[in-house]
Parts: sequence; C-alpha cells; structure tokens
Amino acid sequence: MNWTLALPEIALACAGLVILLVGVIPGRNTFFGCTMAVIGALLLAAVLVLGQPEGTALGGLYVADAFSGFMKILALLGAALGLVLALDFNRRESLDRFEFPVLALFATTGMMVMVSANDLMAVYMGLELLSLPLYVIAAFDRDNGRSAEAGLKYFVLGALASGLLLYGVSLVYGFAGTTNFDRLADVFSGNGGVPAGVVVGLVFVVAGLIFKVSAVPFHMWTPDVYEGAPTPVTAFFAAAPKVAAVALLARVLLGPFGDLAAQWQQVIILASLGSMLLGAFAAVGQRNIKRLMAYSSIGHVGYALMGLAVVSDEGLRGLAIYMLIYMLMNIGTFAILVGMRRRGRAVERIEDLAGLGGTDLGRALWMTVFMFSMAGIPPLAGFFGKLYVFLAAVQGGFWTLAVVGVLTSVVSAYYYLRIVKVMFFDEAPAEGGLDATTPGLAAVTATTGIFNLVFCLYPAPLLLAAGLAAAALLG
Amino acid sequence: MGQRLNRDWMTMTEPMLAEYFPILVFLGIAGAIALAMVGGSLLLARQKPYPEKLSAYECGFEPFDDTRRRFDVRFYLVAILFIIFDLEVAFLFPWAVALGQIGWFGFLSMMGFLTVLTFGFVYEWRKGALDWE
Amino acid sequence: MYVGAIFFPLLGATISGFLGRWIGDRAAQWSTVVCMALAAACGILAFIETVMGNGATTVRIATWMNVGGLEVAWALRYDTIAAVMVMMVTFVSTLIHLYSVGYMSHDATIPRFFAYLSLFTFMMLMLVTADNLAQLFFGWEGVGLASYLLIGYWYEKESANAAAMKAFIVNRVGDLFFMLGIALTFHVFGSIEFDVIFAAVPQHLDTAFLGVPALELVAVLLFLGACGKSAQIGLHTWLPDAMEGPTPVSALIHAATMVTAGVFLVCRMSPIFEYAPTALAIVTFVGATTAFFAATIGCVQNDIKRVIAYSTCSQLGYMFFAAGVGAYQVAMFHLFTHAFFKALLFLGAGSVIHAMSDEQDIRRMGGIWRKIPVTYGVMWVGSLALAGIPFFAGYYSKDAILEAAFAAHSAVGMYAFVCGMAAAVLTAFYSWRLLILTFHGAPRADHHTMEHVHESPAVMLLPLLVLAAGAIGAGWLFYPSFIGAGEHAFWAGSIHNAEHNHVLHDMHEVPAWVPIAPAVAGAVGILTAYVMYMFAPAVPAMLATRLRGLYLFLLNKWYFDELYDRILVRPTLATARVFWKTGDARIIDGMPNGAAALVAEASRGAVRLQTGRVANYAFTMIIGLVIFVSLFLTGLAR
Repeated sequence: MNWTLALPEIALACAGLVILLVGVIPGRNTFFGCTMAVIGALLLAAVLVLGQPEGTALGGLYVADAFSGFMKILALLGAALGLVLALDFNRRESLDRFEFPVLALFATTGMMVMVSANDLMAVYMGLELLSLPLYVIAAFDRDNGRSAEAGLKYFVLGALASGLLLYGVSLVYGFAGTTNFDRLADVFSGNGGVPAGVVVGLVFVVAGLIFKVSAVPFHMWTPDVYEGAPTPVTAFFAAAPKVAAVALLARVLLGPFGDLAAQWQQVIILASLGSMLLGAFAAVGQRNIKRLMAYSSIGHVGYALMGLAVVSDEGLRGLAIYMLIYMLMNIGTFAILVGMRRRGRAVERIEDLAGLGGTDLGRALWMTVFMFSMAGIPPLAGFFGKLYVFLAAVQGGFWTLAVVGVLTSVVSAYYYLRIVKVMFFDEAPAEGGLDATTPGLAAVTATTGIFNLVFCLYPAPLLLAAGLAAAALLG
Repeated sequence: MGQRLNRDWMTMTEPMLAEYFPILVFLGIAGAIALAMVGGSLLLARQKPYPEKLSAYECGFEPFDDTRRRFDVRFYLVAILFIIFDLEVAFLFPWAVALGQIGWFGFLSMMGFLTVLTFGFVYEWRKGALDWE
Repeated sequence: MYVGAIFFPLLGATISGFLGRWIGDRAAQWSTVVCMALAAACGILAFIETVMGNGATTVRIATWMNVGGLEVAWALRYDTIAAVMVMMVTFVSTLIHLYSVGYMSHDATIPRFFAYLSLFTFMMLMLVTADNLAQLFFGWEGVGLASYLLIGYWYEKESANAAAMKAFIVNRVGDLFFMLGIALTFHVFGSIEFDVIFAAVPQHLDTAFLGVPALELVAVLLFLGACGKSAQIGLHTWLPDAMEGPTPVSALIHAATMVTAGVFLVCRMSPIFEYAPTALAIVTFVGATTAFFAATIGCVQNDIKRVIAYSTCSQLGYMFFAAGVGAYQVAMFHLFTHAFFKALLFLGAGSVIHAMSDEQDIRRMGGIWRKIPVTYGVMWVGSLALAGIPFFAGYYSKDAILEAAFAAHSAVGMYAFVCGMAAAVLTAFYSWRLLILTFHGAPRADHHTMEHVHESPAVMLLPLLVLAAGAIGAGWLFYPSFIGAGEHAFWAGSIHNAEHNHVLHDMHEVPAWVPIAPAVAGAVGILTAYVMYMFAPAVPAMLATRLRGLYLFLLNKWYFDELYDRILVRPTLATARVFWKTGDARIIDGMPNGAAALVAEASRGAVRLQTGRVANYAFTMIIGLVIFVSLFLTGLAR
C-alpha cells in the first residue's frame, strides 16, 4: 500500500475536518482564523506535492506524476490567492462565516483528486467533491436573490452534467469492462475496432468535463453564475477549478482515450473554436464587469483547449503554461474587482471604474497591466500564453484554429482596452471615486501584476516545468 | 433437507437466478405476514371509521394539496441527516459480517469512515441542526 | 564583485525610482550615490582582477531565451576591454552622481533624475559586459531609452521634448542597421555569441551574401549602427540638440559613456572588422571627416555646451579613424582619456552655467575668472588635455592616433592624418576661444547676474578636481599598458589584430616630425585664438563679414538640419498626410468601422442566446451533446 503518494490530499482532507471542528466549537466568529488556517493547509499541501514521489497508488485509482504535480501547484496557488481575496470582502458583506474557507478547502481537495485520478471512479469522486462545495459557495450570499439563483442554476445544470458524465462512465465500463485508465488504454490500443457504445460513452464523459471548464456549448451557466455569485467566489471559480478541470480533461483524453484522438479531436476543436468566438463576441456588449469576465474566461478556455486539440508535446506544454498565466492574470484582475467599492458598497459595473486613473493611479495602472496581458499584448505574460498555443497549432497544421484565435484575440482586445479607456479617459462619476483598496488585495494585485510584467525576462524555469508536465502525460 | 431441495432446483434453472431464490422466499413470507396483519385486524378488531382516521398520515401535513404550500424546511434537514446515518448503517452491516477476513486494515478503515461522520455530526450539533426549536 | 559592479546601479535606480516618493529626495539621491560608489569599487577591483589576476571570465546569470536555434543567455563577459569600460563608466558615473547632488539641488523631482541616471549606468554596463549581440543590443536600446528620458528630463520645455525625440529617432535609424547586422551575423554564423562568432570568423572569410563578402557587410551594418549612437557625420544631428538635458547628463551620456558605445562596438567586434578591409576604410573615412567637420562647426558656435558637444563629435571621429586603421587599442585609449577630460569640460561648463544663473551663451559671459578660480583652473586643465598639449592625457592618446593614421601607409590613412591635423588646430582654437570668451575680457552679462557669480559648492568641485587629476594623469599612467610595451599582455586577446596588421608596431617608427606635429598644431590653434579674441577682438567680426558665406555655412552646421528637413522630414510629412487623409481615414478606418459594426451585431446575437432560463441552458447542453455524438460517430465511420 503506497498510500503515502496521496499524502497531500489526505493531509488536506484531515486539515479540513479539523478546521471544521475548530471553527464551529468556539462561540465567536472564527472566519479570519479559519481562513488563515486553510491557507496554511493549502501551502502545506503544496509543499507535500513538491516533495511527492511519482507512481501509482491505491490499487491503480490514483497517479502522481509531473503533470499532476504542476497542475496541483497551480490549483493550490489559485485557491490560496482566491481565499486572500475573500478575507476582507466577506467581512464587509457579512459573509464572514467560517464555512467559506472550509468549503473552498474541500473543493480544492476535490481538484487534487481530479488531477491525480487514474480511474473513472476516481474522476467522479473528485469531480463531485469539487462540485458540491462550489454549489454551496455560489449561493453563499443566501439572502441575496441573485446569489441564490446562481447557486441553484449551477446546481441543476451541474447535476445534469454529472449525470451525463456518470452515464458515459457506465457505458464505457459496459463496453470495455474496466474503468482503470491504464487498462482502458490497453483495450483501445488493440487494433480491433472500437464499439460505438464506447464512443458515445466517451462523448458523455467529455461533455461532463467540458461543463466544468465552461467551454461552448456547455458554457451557459457561466455568465449567470459569475455575475450572481459574490465576487471572491467568482474569482475562485475562474481560477482553481478551471485549472483542475482542464487538467482532468487533458488526462482523460490523452491517457485512456489517447488512441481515439482522431475521433475526439474534432469535438475539442469545435469546443475551442466555439469558445473563442463566443468569448470574443458576447463580451463586447457587456456592462457588468463580472459578466464580462465570465465571457472572457470562456474565451481563454478556448485558447487553452487549442493546445489540447493539437495533441502534441508543444500543444500540451502550451496548455500548461496558458493555464498558469491565465490563472495569475485572472486572480490579479479579480483582486481589483473585489476591491471595487464606492462609499462602502460593492459596485460591479464597468462605468464604476471611470476616472480611476485620476483617483487611484496605482490601481488603474495594475488593472491596465492585467487588461493588456489578457488581451495578449507583448511583452506581458498573456502574450506568451497565447504565443505558445498558437505556435503549437501552427506546427500541427491547425491553421483554422490559429487564424480564428488571432482574430478573436483582436476582437477581445477591444473590450479589454475599453476598460483601460474608461479608467483613464472617462470622467469619474459625481458620487466620487472608488474607496481605497486594502493591503491584502493590494498585495495580491502587486504580486500577480509583477509576475505578468517580468515573465518575459525569465520564462525558462516555468517553461521547463510545463515541458516536463507535458512529457509526463504524453509519455 | 432444504439445502438439498435448493440444490436440485438450482440444477434445473440458471445459476444466477438461483442465487436470488432466498429473496423470493423472503418476499413471499413478508407478503404473507402483511396480509395476515391487515386481514387479522379486519377480522378481529372493531371497525369505527371517521374522516380523520381515514386520512393518510405523512409527516404531519396534507398529502393531497396545493404543491406551492410553504412547509417547514426542518423536515428536509432531518430527512437528509437521517439519510447520512442510514447509509452509515448500510455500510456497517457488510463490514461487520466480513470483519474476520479484512483484519486490522478493514477495522481501521471503518473507524476512519466513522470518524469523518463524527466530525460532521459534531458540526451539525454545534450548528443547532438537531434542535427543533 | 563582477555582478555587483553591474547591478548596484540598478539597485540604486530601483530604490530612487520606486521608493523615492516615500524616502524623500535626500535619501533617494544619496542611495544612488552610495550604490554607484559601491559599483565603482567593484568595477576597479574587477579591473585589477581581470588585468592582473585571473584574466578573462564570463559570469553566466541565466538563460534569457531559447527559441529554435537561437540561444541567448544573460551573462557578464569580463575581459580587458569590458573591464576597462566598466571601470571607466562606474568611476565617471559616480563622480557625476556626486556632482549632480549639487547641480540638481534646486530641482523639483530629484529622485526621478537620479533613478534615470543610475538606470542609464546600469544599461551602459549591460552593454559593455554583454557576451552576445542580443544582450549588447538590450543595453544599446536601454541607454538610448535612458538618454531619451534624460534629454527630455525637463519635459515642460518644448525644445527639450523635441530634442529628446530627435535623439531617439535619429538613433533608431542607426539601430535599424545594427539590427540588420545582428540578423546577418546570425544568418552567417548561426549564433550571436561572441565566442562562437569570433572562433568561426576564419571559416567565413569567403562566405558571400547577395554577392558581397558577408563579413564586410556585417561590419558595415554594425558600423552604421555605431554611427547613430556615436553621432558620426550624417547621424550626428541629435548630439548638439541633446544639450537640452541637464548638464551632468551631457557629461555622462553625451561625452563620457554612451556616445562611445559605437567605438566600443567596433573594438569589441575587431575580429570581424580585421577581415573586412573595405569596411575599415569606410570607418576611417567617416571618422576622419567627422573629426574635421565637427571641429569647424565648433569654431563658430556660441552656446557653451554646444561647442563642447561638437568637440565630442570631433573626438569620436578621432576614435573611429583610429579603429579604422586597425589601431583599436589606441581608439580605446583615446576613449578612456577622453572620458576624463570631456566629462571635466562639461562639468566645468555646468559649474559656469550654475555661476551665471543658467546663462549658456558665451557672448554674454566674460570677466569672471577671478570669481570662480577653481572652475577656471579645471577648465584650463580640460582644454589643455583636449588640445593635446604634452603630458596632459589627451596628448598621449591623440598623438598615438595621428601616428597610427600616418603609419597606416594607405590613402584613407593619409586622409585621416590630414583631417586629424587640421582638426587638432581647430580643436585648440575653439577651446581657447571658449576659455577666453567665457572667462576673460569685460563682463558682458548684466549687472544683476554678475553680482550673483559664485563658486560652486564643494560637492560639485570635488568631482571636478578628481576628473582634473584624471585629465592630467590618466595619459602617462596608462600609456604603457594600453598602447605601449605592455599592450599585448594587457589586452590579453580581447582585441584581435590580424597577422597582416602591423599598425601598432609601425606607429612607433614614424618620422620624427610626426609625434611633434599635433602639439605644434595645438599651439598654433591656441595662439590664433589668443590673437583673435584677446588681443585683436575686431578680427572675428571682420572675418565673419568678409567670409559671410563660410561663416553662415559653419554657423548653420553645414546645413545638415535644413537638408534633412527638406529631403526627409517634409516629404515624409507630405506623404503621411496623403496616407492619413485617403488611406487611413477612408480605407483603413472604413474596414475596422465596418468590422466593428459586425462585431457589435454578433455580440447582440450571442447575448440573446443567454436567456437566463435553466431549461434553455439544459436544452443547449443536450443539443451540444447531440452534435458531439454525431461528430464522433462520423469520425468513427471514416
């Protein structure tokens, strides 16, 4: 029993239980302490992941390799930064209940199980462990109609997606006789034809996973949920779970179903094209900045899936790098959005940013950095993320993807730059500028902002890590 | 003798279905007992019906009514909590039967499972989910 | 130590630039000064270590980029030529930082100034310690940026903005050629690392590119790049205008360091230039012409800083033709001594300007030498060194340059020698013209200004005195090792002389009158200046009226700016207007406007799908699923 391979997940789960008890027993509010403890637990798990040996464990249900390591670090980092964003916001909005960090912690555990899953059952386990807490925290502002609506919508559609996934899993099991990834790969690598049932099952599994990454056509929940959920929750949604879901999608498609690439490639290309187009076009008319970020995230997922669709080492490396950069620029942007308040009340329209360049130049400049990075303007990090997936697409001969990618990034540049324009050239509204930000948010902004700025100077180690991760998956 | 009969019967039918035969027997006996109880009551007890007595009883509210009626969410809370512990018991039975073969590892696994449930139990207790008022 | 010399200035710039607002002006400026002093200490130690100790080393810092066959690292290449430059740059920069503490004391945004100054120094150090062309180019552009920022430092002045833009744009012209040169180098050698290139030169002697020997082409392109940065004739127009920046900036960037980057580049790439005789002839010709041409203009300018700026231009010409005849060591030596006395002259001029309440026109100075004796003294020292009067620093290097030109025994060499001699006379002439008009004669400034004339504070005088010591002593102190007997051991192969190149040997065996000639030329120039401005002040005015055409030609700087305006700027503007009116406004704007309308329409369509109803969402999911399944099955059928 080499269960020690799963030590990060085990440690995280135990920490979650302990923090749950420690949080509930005292009579007073333990939100701050619990958040800190959870962040500590996440960092501890990150350390454990770094020190993790490679191998398969728990009877083949669980695998640890360079890919899982890379993605887990990303997910943990995203979750920890997301919690920092929630600290101050939740207190001001009276959402400072200690369940919030604990739920985030359980969701993160789910992400890690997903990333390390080596069996369809483990996939389902991880996915549900991720989803259930997310349903709850989407509706965390339970007295707010929009938040409740967001949670309910996410739950209903999520349940549907889970159902599809589970149905697909059962079909695959029925036709292939196993749920283990390695053995599934053996089954499909034989030169006998693939039964249609397996293919239908695979589509259902892919559909369930694509729902989680919110790519077209399973994206419909995203704008409503992003808009309705409390802003730090949206930040959390947009960062860590997306990384885990993309990682899981890559592992499922390239692992057991790697030999069926010719079949699923079409689907991923379609999803990627659709997401890029929708992300670019639908965001143009948005006035609510969270909704805009939802479409933006759909678009970004489209670019990331491009790396998966080409099925090559370069593509997968591009995907890994893209997720890293996407996550950090997203967290940075949300650190600014979370801090958008006027006279103590949270605001979230784009016009609310007007005149920020005059009232708080530092924040406006960081926001500019993030927007430019999102738009993919060199030399910011976002440019390199796009560059690597485009390069992979071109090398693989997927010209349609690359061309559509470039065109949609031009369109999306419009709405990113519009925010910059609003900040610097529009008059501040009569009721005054935004309230000052808090040290925690400022720190997150600055850290992620600096990453976006200096990535171009020394990308070598991150590229190396992403390359190793890609190699581990493609073998 | 029952065993022998069983084996003879098994040779005649498919082996898988044979394994479900005890359940069929069980169903038969259960049906017989239920019939006996209702029938006995019909035969032996004094019948004095009135509307209140004839209406079905379900968790304290009307079964046939407008579906948009408000009712207390605590019913659901209790039901959900019940399901958790019901499942716990469902796991405990096979575990108890197989305890001899699965050894210490099996024992500790179940203890771990129960501990996790206990954490949840403490949480709901402290949160007041178990207090009706 | 090696790393410290380079990165202390960056640290200083960071502290001053980003924290300046919080830590205050004094802390910001002194932190940069301290960082620079540390860098200078490291620079001198590194020089000693490199030259006398371990020899050349390369400090690898990190991999910068690895794209295809191109692999570029951040690395510090410490050989003698780099060590000399690092020592000189850090040392002069430290003095100038110190000087600026006094000079800029009344400025409103002191941290910004010091941050720029330190940033510039860092970029310059990056440039000189680069071990590949990409890093060199990084530094090259970095100093260009810093120069732009510093020339336009007083950005509320329109002329400063114009000058900054001019400097940047003219430099870009040179940079274009430099980039082409880098690209061609990569094409020919398959690498841009110096070690690889230099080792591969012998194999590429016969390589041709578009029918031209590739090495020649590379050398010419790199030289054209150098022309932009080093203000050689044709691309020199930005340098005099750059005097709009604060005077310490002129001293550091536009005299001592940045403008010499071109010379440094030619010397650094000597292994290539040695095998490109035509390119070397071009270098010699351009250098010699610039030396003469800039000197003639210097004779009639009236702005104290512009006179020195043209002088810089002229001295850079000397360095180039020294390199052109193959005497790279001599070029580096002149670069080294020039840094001292030219920085000294600029800072002295700054001290004069400071004393004269920001007056820069020498026609409105005069009669102040008793009031600012120290400044007066150091200006003398600087001028003596510049004119090449024996035993001052300039004498050793300039003499050697002219000897080398003479010893080259070639037509361009002789041309360079003649131009150099003429420029030497003119140099002495305008230097003393400047001295006499500035310090002697009757005061021409108004009464109010004259009352305020005062010697500068100690923090400004100290750097002046140190530089004066350098202007006196740097020549004879370093002569033996730079170009004398110890030359070979000193450079240790960091400069390459081909086997057919005997210039360094021949220059010691020229006829006896050649070494004396520059000093005589200097003396003649000085005497002429005394006659014309001290004893017979009517002569210049008379000459100006008699030779009106020549005078105006010189005063208007050979009409270079007008020429460029006529043949480049105006036609460009006219074409641009045409493109703007028809091409841009009608065609180009038309397309994106149409596209934008299309996007807006598509956006409305996409948003309409988002109804907010869960049932619709679920329906979309199912439809998507159906599409996916059919896609899969068709894929399977194929």
